[in-house]
Amino acid sequence: MIEALGYTFVQHALIAGLLVSLAAGIIGSLIVVNRMVFLAGGIAHASYGGIGMAVYFSLPIFLGASVFAVASALLIAQLTLHKRHRIDTFIGLIWAVGMAIGVVFVDLTPGYHVDLMSYLFGSILAVSSSDLYFMGALLGLIVLVVLFGYRSILAVSYDSEYARLRGIPVRFFYTLILILSALTVVIAIKVVGLILVIAMLTIPVYIAERLSNTLWKMMIISGIVSALFTLAGLALSYAYNLTSGASIILVSAASLGVFLFLYRKG
Amino acid sequence: MDAVIEINDLSFAYEKDIILENINLIVKPLDFLAIIGPNGGGKSTLLRLMLGLLKPMQGSIRILGGSPYEHLSEIGYVPQNTNVNTDFPIKVLEVVLMGHIGGKRPLFGYGKEEIACAMGALAQVGMAAYAHQRIGDLSGGQRQRVMIARALCAHPKILMLDEPTASIDVKGQKEIYELLKRLNETMTVIVVSHDISVILEYANKAAHVNKRLAFHDISNKKETFHTHGTDDHFCEIELLQMLGSEHCDTCNNDTQTRREEP
Repeated sequence: MIEALGYTFVQHALIAGLLVSLAAGIIGSLIVVNRMVFLAGGIAHASYGGIGMAVYFSLPIFLGASVFAVASALLIAQLTLHKRHRIDTFIGLIWAVGMAIGVVFVDLTPGYHVDLMSYLFGSILAVSSSDLYFMGALLGLIVLVVLFGYRSILAVSYDSEYARLRGIPVRFFYTLILILSALTVVIAIKVVGLILVIAMLTIPVYIAERLSNTLWKMMIISGIVSALFTLAGLALSYAYNLTSGASIILVSAASLGVFLFLYRKG
Repeated sequence: MDAVIEINDLSFAYEKDIILENINLIVKPLDFLAIIGPNGGGKSTLLRLMLGLLKPMQGSIRILGGSPYEHLSEIGYVPQNTNVNTDFPIKVLEVVLMGHIGGKRPLFGYGKEEIACAMGALAQVGMAAYAHQRIGDLSGGQRQRVMIARALCAHPKILMLDEPTASIDVKGQKEIYELLKRLNETMTVIVVSHDISVILEYANKAAHVNKRLAFHDISNKKETFHTHGTDDHFCEIELLQMLGSEHCDTCNNDTQTRREEP
């Protein structure tokens, strides 16, 4: 397996896996503690609309997916603030309509159709250097935001009403968390695909939550655990010629099972 | 200043349901006000209006002579339901540190003075030893004390609590009220509660809220509720009914007539 490290696409895959894992660890923690998992799922699937439109208009896929995902996030943020009691209905709607738009635009695109499967299950072996820059920049942005906004993010996540009474701009931080989630979802789609992205954002976080007594520890542990799962999944996928995204998720799920078993005993 | 809180002709409705109507209330410095009344009667809504979390439909609320939003740091708030979100990975100290407001903050992390202040607040409620425990590992009563410490962090002039003793055992409830009594020596305390014992033992003012508000000065009325023999001790329902009426007999300094009723 060592000789594989000589190939550029394998190196890219490893770097992408690490960058995305760390981003997913941090943002996944925020998604879980804010109970936005269903919401992140909605954004992930809605972003397929952006992928379809990018294909149709011959734009960069990352750009299309990012813009669409952020737009869905803003729409959801707006709806959450005003129609909180119907939010799950709206998320379901955005989830389905986004995907439908994507499918229709791919249908309308003349000639060669991009492989739908690569977006559903990821295409980590086809990561370009510009993809890596995008991932790196996003991770940098996430780290900066969390570092400097930690107190406010913690306050908003733990008790948003109280945060508001302390003069913290709750809407701003809530929307910021959603936008960063949307962008993280977009880069994670490259690694594990949009169907499996939720597992990547939640399984490591679930393990980390049990092991940490503060949010920042949870973020760091999630990032490390996620990176380990990604590397193990990639190795497995290389050794047995399996789809990488699915391998990563199965490694994660199996590890979670073992963890829960040990945690119960210990 | 004469009043810390002054509410004039306040009305509030969610959509079409009128929750509060023509509320007038004056809270004086160092009052211990109990807001009581039936469930759905508007107690919590009134508190949320005083906090500035809701806007009045009609009428005005002045806190320390200004709008609630101008005096955020002078109001300490302890919300209802401290038993939610117990999975959240957060230490007791971090929860208390949330009580700080604006001001000088380090670029990231917490300042030394802020931590010292938060530890002081924890010591005030007797929870300093738990500072580094995860909040979810505490009991309901302990968590409630931590929430009070969080409210004390900003050195408020008014402390507002929403059902502070719901879902706490009897011993824990007594401890919370003793703590509030102590805090009341230096700040105004407002408690929303369906727990009538708070009026009997600790409050000096009572506001019964059921769409409308009936106000009672009970500072000199402890004996009315309490110190007579067990025979003519008011039961809670009777007491609630009495406080619910606009003019209760006890407020006319005529405790005798009330007692002689069948």
